[in-house]
Amino acid sequence: MKILLVEDDSLIGEPLVKALTEQHYAVDVAADGETGWALLESFAYDLILLDVGLPKLDGISLCRRLRSQGKQTPVLLLTAQSASLNKVIGLDAGADDYVAKPFNLQELLARVRALLRRGDTALPPLLEWRNLGLDPSICEVTCDRQLVRLTPKEYGLLELFLRNPHRIFSTGTLIDHIWSFEETPTEDTIRSHIKGLRQKLRAAGALDDPIETVYGLGYRLRPAEEKLREEKARSDKGQKRQDEGKTTIASQTLTGLSMVWNQVKEAVDRRVSVVEQAVVLLRQNKLSEELRQQAEQATHKLAGSLGMFGADQGSRLAQEIEPLFQKGRSLTRQQVQRLSKLVNSLRQELQHLNDLNNNLSSEPSGVAVVDQSVDERPWLLVVSSNSTFTAQLQNESSGWGFRVQIISNPVTAREQITKAHPDVALLDFANAADTDNHLMLLSELRACTPPVPVLVLTDQDRLIDRVKVTRLGGRRLQQPITATQVLEAVNQVLQQARPIQATVLVVDDDVQILTALQRLLIPWGLHVSVLDNPLLFLDSLEANPPDLLVLDIEMPCVSGLELCQVVRNDPCWSGLPILFLTAHTDAETMYQVFAVGADDFVSKPIVGPELVTRIFNRLERTRLLKSFAEMDALTGVANRRKSTEALSQFLQWCEHCQQPFCLALIELDPLKPINQQYGHAAVDQVLARFGELLRRSFHTEDIVGRWGGGEFIIGMAGMTQADGMQRILDLQQSWQRFEFEAESTSFQVGLRAEVVQYPQDGADLQMLYQTARDRLSQAEHGTRSEGSSP
Amino acid sequence: MTTRRILIIDDEYDIRAVAQLTLKTVGGWEVSIASSGHEGLSKAANEQPDVVLLDVMMPDMDGIETFRALQANPATQSIPVILMTAKVQAAEQRRFAELAVAGIITKPFKAMKLPEQIAKLLDWS
Repeated sequence: MKILLVEDDSLIGEPLVKALTEQHYAVDVAADGETGWALLESFAYDLILLDVGLPKLDGISLCRRLRSQGKQTPVLLLTAQSASLNKVIGLDAGADDYVAKPFNLQELLARVRALLRRGDTALPPLLEWRNLGLDPSICEVTCDRQLVRLTPKEYGLLELFLRNPHRIFSTGTLIDHIWSFEETPTEDTIRSHIKGLRQKLRAAGALDDPIETVYGLGYRLRPAEEKLREEKARSDKGQKRQDEGKTTIASQTLTGLSMVWNQVKEAVDRRVSVVEQAVVLLRQNKLSEELRQQAEQATHKLAGSLGMFGADQGSRLAQEIEPLFQKGRSLTRQQVQRLSKLVNSLRQELQHLNDLNNNLSSEPSGVAVVDQSVDERPWLLVVSSNSTFTAQLQNESSGWGFRVQIISNPVTAREQITKAHPDVALLDFANAADTDNHLMLLSELRACTPPVPVLVLTDQDRLIDRVKVTRLGGRRLQQPITATQVLEAVNQVLQQARPIQATVLVVDDDVQILTALQRLLIPWGLHVSVLDNPLLFLDSLEANPPDLLVLDIEMPCVSGLELCQVVRNDPCWSGLPILFLTAHTDAETMYQVFAVGADDFVSKPIVGPELVTRIFNRLERTRLLKSFAEMDALTGVANRRKSTEALSQFLQWCEHCQQPFCLALIELDPLKPINQQYGHAAVDQVLARFGELLRRSFHTEDIVGRWGGGEFIIGMAGMTQADGMQRILDLQQSWQRFEFEAESTSFQVGLRAEVVQYPQDGADLQMLYQTARDRLSQAEHGTRSEGSSP
Repeated sequence: MTTRRILIIDDEYDIRAVAQLTLKTVGGWEVSIASSGHEGLSKAANEQPDVVLLDVMMPDMDGIETFRALQANPATQSIPVILMTAKVQAAEQRRFAELAVAGIITKPFKAMKLPEQIAKLLDWS
């Protein structure tokens, strides 16, 4: 990573360069603004550290110039603490974050890291669409640089459309986004606001109607390129135009279908569940007349609708199932078996349809949050024309828990990412005929909010592409490479990139602030719950436990400071990070804020990037602390306390859902002799390798914990003892292949395991553990006596 | 040419939504919907659509009853009716064919093809 430091004070610059170099950043230094600009024009940087007061060209102007040229390199301002106006101007000029001088070096480095993680996606300070411009910092709309006067609601609508260029907003969603709770308008009101907005824009000379009506669905920003295409077609006249029109209609209909699917898929899912349930009871000869009838109706409806969404096979299956549920019909055993198979296939078809629609569906909306639960597996997008390689990837990927989608053409892939963002992407440059489209796709993926991590396959001879790839933030994988190696790399990236899943609770009596914060934070993947009445604070805290709290200081009845004290005094909540929003920055208030136990404060008016940075920093720090408290450092698996908690929850769930549960107790060979013979380092090595193996063999649906020296516990929900035993045997086999070296001899470490099942072997965790322990020691004695007999 | 108007009567939300969507976007027609036979009868009488798309299997008043009621009312008897059904058995098909309907469309229909299918049944160009 390469950083440009523009700073004229060598007392600040020199130690900073030293610290940055120690962190392995490449650092260039410029002592004035003009030199800084010259460097920026000639080289690519990942981050700019920019002093505000500079000779020749000041930092703010430099930043503005940078942004006006469309360069998105993150900028961290170094500013004198007193000049708070500077911060606002600096951030509005396009800077991403600032640190006040004199600064804490560690904090500065953390902020550098945070910015670099986020890649080159500074929010554009100015929103534009053809000849329209909207400047959120001053709430101004211009058309051909002439001011357009809009009402606040019209402004809100336009900003929403410009910020979410691909999203279709129904009137209901518009109400949610723009109107407060007290003034809920009717759909007609929305329509008249849209009409007013369109008229004003037209009168101001806006090219085309920027707001497009999507029939039956709502409104969205008209795609600018499509408009250009249409215009071109129009000038060409003739058939071509009609074809373009058809494509638009087809894609509009597809998007619409996908939305309808999202609305009905839960109902469809319930129908399939009814049929599944009926089959289970039928096998046990317990099918009631009522349920039979329900199942018949459900299949009939499934037959009628699935094909409509593109699952012809689903409709055919349902058609085949329907007569089997006919009144008074008794089935032979073969028929019942056939029925089970059909229903299984039906379930798979449904899953397939969901996958398809998830890939198709548009930007996540308030409603779509629910949809994501359908397939939570991370989505890997592979763009490669090498079909042998992609087939291998597809084959190998099944065990890794990804959803892999393969597209051979980068242009098609780019269309895809406008609808939904993959969690990680793999671009194959090595087999690309023309790399330009790949590079463009790469930069677009990096520009998503939040950026999509990209892995790039390259080969030796394309040095220039390698430079470009690295500059655009892609990670290189060098050919030749196996499918497994690629998937390992993908997994690694996913582990790092997984966004912080966190809920932020904001308490402020100003509804506008609440709306603004929601709008600001939701695109970063945070769940935001808001509360405008501090009296309901405790209920809200209980109902939806947050990971971070944002409090306003001055509120009617109860102040934020008092709320903060309440939280700090409650043992349940005392560790919750709290961030204050305040218009007061005087020393007295700040003292009070920290005295009641706040972690940080941000001054109003809110500056988006600053708040986002602070929230993420705070969340990351808390998460780190938490993981220290929950994770066993040597093995990377949960510690005893954490795993006990999780196991108890699993047990409850299994009891509730009547699912089997099995618990494995694993014990490594006594570690003490290893310690005596080879030393502590050897024991650490054994434990670390075993932890790694466990983490690879068991996934998120299992619970793995280290309970003592060489004692490990694995909880497997939904699994019988026999299945669990098989997995442990597999683990044992893998473990046998591990050899350790110390003092130029090699040794192996054995393991013994016992698998018990709930509830047969014990009614709670303690009893299950005890049973397993007893059997383990019996087996040990058993083996010994066996061993001693001839 | 004036825009064609169609009334969809179906108790299933997904069928209504998809038919409405494609008839609007692909067909460019005006679409109104009813979720039961009774609602359909009054809408047909008030709105005088160019065609009624009628689901056969509905609770309370099924498609056949609805069709008979439409035929019995002088205000609606001249409106062509197309039945929608997922029943594929030949016997059922024949029974529907005996009714004086303008046509039958079997479910599941192809979303994109629905307007074309309807236009063909009614000889619309």
